[in-house]
Amino acid sequence: MKVMPGPEGYMPKVAALEGVNLSSPGKGLLFGEEVDEEVAMREAARAMLTRPNPTIFPGPKILWGWSPNAFEEADAILELAKEIPNCRIIPMPDYRPKYPKIDPEAEINPNHPNLTILHNRIEACIFVGVHCHYANLSLRMIRAGTNCFTIAICGELGHEDAMVSLRDAHGEKIRKFKQIVIEEREKLGIQWEPKLPPPNPSLPKENMETISYADYGEYAFLLMPKKGEIVTDTE
Amino acid sequence: MGLEYVRITTGFEDYMPKDYVDLVKYGQFGKEYDIQDLGTFKELVEEHPMCAGCFMAYFIRVFYASLPNPEDSIVIGTAGCARLQLSQAAVPFIYGNYGDTNAVASGLKRALEIRFPDKNKDVIVVAGDGGLMDIGFGMTMHSWFRRERFTTIMVDNEVYGNTGGQESGMSPKGVQLKMAPKGKKFDKINAVELAKAAGCVYVARIAPTNPKRLAKTIKRAILAARHFGPTFIHAYTSCNIEYSIPTEKVLEDARNREKNDFAFYEWMSDEVKGFFEQVETKKKEAQEVK
Amino acid sequence: MPEQKVVDTDYLLLEAPRERKFITGAQAMAEAIKRANVDMAIAYPITPQSEVMHLVGDLWAQGYLKDYYRAEEEYGAFSAISGAARGGVRVFTATSGPGLLRGLEAIASWPGHRIPAVLGVLTRVVNAPLSIQPDNIEISYLLNCGAVVLHAENQQDTFDFTLAAFAIAEQVDVYVPVAVATEGFFVTHAKGYVNMTPEDMKLPPRNPYKAPVPPTDNEIPPARIQRDAPVQKSNFMSYLIHAVWQQEVWASTTRAMKYIYKYLGGPIEVVNPDAEVFIVASGCAAAQSREAVRYAQLEGLNVGLVKVKAIRPFPEKEIRKVLKNAKGIVVPEHNIVGWLAREVKAAIPNNDRVVGGPRVYGGMTLPTELIMDEVYKILGVKKERKVLV
Repeated sequence: MKVMPGPEGYMPKVAALEGVNLSSPGKGLLFGEEVDEEVAMREAARAMLTRPNPTIFPGPKILWGWSPNAFEEADAILELAKEIPNCRIIPMPDYRPKYPKIDPEAEINPNHPNLTILHNRIEACIFVGVHCHYANLSLRMIRAGTNCFTIAICGELGHEDAMVSLRDAHGEKIRKFKQIVIEEREKLGIQWEPKLPPPNPSLPKENMETISYADYGEYAFLLMPKKGEIVTDTE
Repeated sequence: MGLEYVRITTGFEDYMPKDYVDLVKYGQFGKEYDIQDLGTFKELVEEHPMCAGCFMAYFIRVFYASLPNPEDSIVIGTAGCARLQLSQAAVPFIYGNYGDTNAVASGLKRALEIRFPDKNKDVIVVAGDGGLMDIGFGMTMHSWFRRERFTTIMVDNEVYGNTGGQESGMSPKGVQLKMAPKGKKFDKINAVELAKAAGCVYVARIAPTNPKRLAKTIKRAILAARHFGPTFIHAYTSCNIEYSIPTEKVLEDARNREKNDFAFYEWMSDEVKGFFEQVETKKKEAQEVK
Repeated sequence: MPEQKVVDTDYLLLEAPRERKFITGAQAMAEAIKRANVDMAIAYPITPQSEVMHLVGDLWAQGYLKDYYRAEEEYGAFSAISGAARGGVRVFTATSGPGLLRGLEAIASWPGHRIPAVLGVLTRVVNAPLSIQPDNIEISYLLNCGAVVLHAENQQDTFDFTLAAFAIAEQVDVYVPVAVATEGFFVTHAKGYVNMTPEDMKLPPRNPYKAPVPPTDNEIPPARIQRDAPVQKSNFMSYLIHAVWQQEVWASTTRAMKYIYKYLGGPIEVVNPDAEVFIVASGCAAAQSREAVRYAQLEGLNVGLVKVKAIRPFPEKEIRKVLKNAKGIVVPEHNIVGWLAREVKAAIPNNDRVVGGPRVYGGMTLPTELIMDEVYKILGVKKERKVLV
């Protein structure tokens, strides 16, 4: 089976059950076929450079500082993000089905990754630092319902359900990919000064730590009911 | 490790959703808050799909705020209302199969002791009356017989709430519920006495009307399990839906039950008693030095 | 207990020197556990499995395992296994017939929970009426769980499959449980020659961080839901999540195939690939079928054997290829439902070539003559039957 961007339909096919095998060491997967890693990287780079709203989805293994490698890979990912024009970073901080719902501009959730992709009209994305099980769930759901070009940068064996799968990818390989992004960008003649993507829109614009009680002015009473006061009305 | 897996990697503080940044900056990890500070720090669990007026939801909120080491705690649940909220908390949560909590906890706790012999990793089961005293009864009892070192908290709403209000072994005698259309024929199971007989080293029964006492009870149950053996809390967490308790009467109902059959009860082995006396003396001394 | 040194998985399974011993199937399974660097085993008695877990208990007492206990019953045992596996240790348990069925809810949830446990299945009759005799109908219940299911023919297979099971289960792209089944009594309580790796070598320990899901140990993120997301609340997630989750389980089982090739030489063994008639069999029935192939050879009949080692993932492609030109296919089994015959029929074209039988069950043995009768029928060989009194 050729693993192409969707939408594939109601129920996605499972690449692994359709004869797609994970690539051997040093190789990558491109549309479900084993190719030289660099070939896969170049195709991935072009997708991130030419398709609308390229986005990196870093997962828990990179977002949280649980090991020295996490910091190293986080650095590499930020370096990569700087080189992709108008790239965004939308994190997947955990795997819970979040109640009541996610903010699709602030995060992506493996239980319905398509919401984030469709809301932001993302047509090329990179999954990195997501545990393989959850990455596979997401990749398949994305292929089912969106036209997003998915790239998996995997520290383990890679992912059949991504359009491009890179295996054993840690700091060094992510930096190699960054170089290829730069090369392809220059080939395409895209002018771009490296810069970090915009911060998470859910974060407060001002520093809440310095806000004082007085800043709330006449609404201060809403913060703390007076002694003996029972608030019956709510929004 | 604990704290290290709940810090954000350099540079990514700007890309995390606010919820998570707040958890790290203003949350409970690595800090100990008094339960009376509730509302002044970022709690481990906030939004959840429990019913309005649910007393169990309140209990679980206080439970998470009382964890002595949230960064080194694992909560295990099973089918029922509680897991809807437990699975939204910033503490690893295991949802296995029906009534398997105490077996899963046994395996998990032993595995963690093998891998981290020098660390305290608290394993806490929070499950309902159906999960612990009906379907999981054998596994609950046997985990106590084997003296597995984890805490079991039974959030007793006296009914199968999540499946639509069926009788449970913990429903009071005579109550008419689904699957008991003529009223329940036998008494509420005496879980506290069973726990004592089965070898729990710390046993408490509580109607959570007083958050301070509740927090203390939870902390004690977790600390005693860490050092001595199985511990058990039987908490009354009414189901306002199936028992038709008006939302504003939920606390009043708990107070009534406290006066009748849910009076606060705490029992511990002499060893545990000695341990807490020691801990409390040390605390006092430390305060005096300050 | 000898000092054991950790050696490379591939070396231990494929290259390490072997020593020949004459032991029972139960001993063979325990000898594999001895070399598998297992952290924890949980036991619950049931005949004919008990022997295996007695021996594993002895291994714990000698210091080969770090923890071991007798659980309250199978559901409790298998649930505790899933807890321990989530905690990041290597686990083993074993059961038989009714015990397997009692614990089946837990077992069926292992693949979805990504529990890389190894489960010994020492087959026995499923009640009622009560019996403890060999019969492998229980495997049919195991086939739709999403676990890898290997079926051992003899003591040697039992050793090899059990040791390899840990290597297969813990691959990042597999990470589902592996069940190693073999016939109770016929294999577990009978002796055979087993070539075993040295006692002082063991597999590398489990690395719980090399995994498609994080272990639940407060050492690796995320702190919120790590792997057991309850996903049924439709107002804040998609039903598709459960569908793709199930897909992932079966994809993982399928990915095990390349490791079955690597460590077990493939999911099937073929004797006489150019045969006219094939006997397709697994487990103990394969041993009797091997004997039938020898009989046939003596009689000048062109009969071959396909021994199926892996029942899940089922080697459809491989079997289709071997049976392409077969005139007839005999599937002898130790159960009444004929689960292997169904699998074979579903895998090949023109499946009226498949003879679903002979089948024996309830503890009965499988005489080679019964298999030969089916072979004769296919080949049109008329045999006089003499009754000796």
